[in-house]
Amino acid sequence: MVPLQLTLAILKPHVLKNPVATEKIKYVILQSEFKIVKLKTTTISLKKAQEFYGEHKGKFFYKRLLSFMTSGPSEVMIMAKRDAISHWRQLMGPTKVYKAQFEAPNSIRGMFGLSDTQNAAHGSDSPESAKREIGIFFPEFNYDKWFKEDEMHFRNNDVHFVPSLFIHQINNKTI
Amino acid sequence: MSFKAYRRLFGTVRRKYPINRDQEKSLPIFQYGVSNESYQRLYAWGNIQTGALGIPFIRQNESVDKVSCLRHPKRVTFGEKHNVTAVACGYGFTVFGVENDEHKLFGSGLNTDSQIGHHEINEGKPLSILFYPKPIHLSLKNSTSKILKLSAGRAHCMALTDEGVYLQGNNSYGQCGRKILENEDYLASSYVNHIPNVDGKKICDVQCGQDHSLLLTEDGAVYSCGWGADGQTGQGHYNNLEVFTQVGGDIANEKIIELSCRADFVLARNDKGEVFGWGNTEYSQLGPDIEEQQVCNPTYIKSLKSFGKITSIASGGSFCLILNENGDVFSWGFGILGMGPSVEHSKVPLPIPKTLFGKNDFQPSSEVVKVACGTSHSAAITNSGDLYTWGRNSNACLGLGHDKDQYFPFKVSMGASVTQVFCGVDHTVVLSKPFI
Repeated sequence: MVPLQLTLAILKPHVLKNPVATEKIKYVILQSEFKIVKLKTTTISLKKAQEFYGEHKGKFFYKRLLSFMTSGPSEVMIMAKRDAISHWRQLMGPTKVYKAQFEAPNSIRGMFGLSDTQNAAHGSDSPESAKREIGIFFPEFNYDKWFKEDEMHFRNNDVHFVPSLFIHQINNKTI
Repeated sequence: MSFKAYRRLFGTVRRKYPINRDQEKSLPIFQYGVSNESYQRLYAWGNIQTGALGIPFIRQNESVDKVSCLRHPKRVTFGEKHNVTAVACGYGFTVFGVENDEHKLFGSGLNTDSQIGHHEINEGKPLSILFYPKPIHLSLKNSTSKILKLSAGRAHCMALTDEGVYLQGNNSYGQCGRKILENEDYLASSYVNHIPNVDGKKICDVQCGQDHSLLLTEDGAVYSCGWGADGQTGQGHYNNLEVFTQVGGDIANEKIIELSCRADFVLARNDKGEVFGWGNTEYSQLGPDIEEQQVCNPTYIKSLKSFGKITSIASGGSFCLILNENGDVFSWGFGILGMGPSVEHSKVPLPIPKTLFGKNDFQPSSEVVKVACGTSHSAAITNSGDLYTWGRNSNACLGLGHDKDQYFPFKVSMGASVTQVFCGVDHTVVLSKPFI
């Protein structure tokens, strides 16, 4: 059986300020059968943002990206699904919002993006970067251990959803 | 039977109550109701879920899926109870300036950053969303002070009154003109920043970008503060700015009379009808000569030189719109520019044919008098009070009765003559006069 994939998703500050958008995006996530392994609401510090977006350093949008991401609380999630990375990127749509709203009007960015910077959501682009990005935001999360122990439960749907925390927990497991 | 034969048989008609011809002249004649000179009707359409329209509706938690939006212009009852004179639309919220009322400012919609003030029903639980306009308290000294102009950005709003500017809402980039506090909780904040004047000069216009603010003083100088990562403050640097500072560049010695900004690119017009721009220019909003993607110094737009005197400007997210003294509308940038059947990217301003704005053999004198735009939709008002909209139709913000994108200007069906239009991100509000 094909193992699940993990991806890091961020709901960016301007989306969290709009309860209607947040609700709708979370509804879409659940409808697309993503399993939420971890969730954290945090204001990203400048240091973390610099580490996170290190690959973009030197590009013209680097500064505005950092100042936007550190401007308010964001919601950071680890999501699991088969081919999670490509599915989540497909749900989000193209990076540039002004183009996404015509190319993919029903994608998350097409619907809730405001500008090319304030583009609603982030997703990892490869399994390697997912591992790196998860390590930045969830240093306590053991990537390899999760695949060894918990992945099987998530794959067999041996989990239940906790609406108050908006995460999936493994059945009969005390945390 | 003829009339003569009738009279021969029955004699003259005798009325039980004979008509008094003199009294008849003094009887009142029915007058059709003519509306008051100052009365303005308020119409709104677009996304209703955020409460920004000021039209109450019941949220159904089970069916988030069903997008509820108003596709046609709907009269806002709030406008019938209060004398609304100014409106501004932000991202999911609307503010209304009111005359002849105890409170001068009302707001409706998203309130997660206290952009429409602090409201709570249960103590300690501030409301993050309002579905009906509620009063916002401004500490005005004089009860006769009026709201002159309103402007709203992504999560902050500015109100220009006789006593200066009041700013409230999100200040994470310094867009409210005060010090940025780290991890400030905006949700329960009732702080309103009051700026009576800048450098001792009277303020005569305000304009909000998405996360920055602009002021215009009576001598034509522009002041800015807030998010500058795209150069949208026009200060020659890309840093956030906490204090209103004068903008230099090409407009340093110009008398600016109009500012327009809905997202991250600013357009400014001077008294000679010349246009300047600065900010995010990824979609060639500054014309074909400028290749940079961010411009932090106000720059004269050369490509508009041949169009004569510009009388109205509007700057959206990725495109710009201007109107010249002959009534021609031009647009450039990226998006639905209003000319054709497709999404376009044009570095040079393209004219939108006048016939699309209702100029034909039956209405030869129809001219556009004002253009406006939201982040990705546009609107134009003609001298006959007709409203034309086009562009991206997110949540039916064009008010055309459908939710598909509109690729050329189309008249909005409305029973009133439009005087002012205010475009938000996914909703539109109109102030209009009834026909009689």
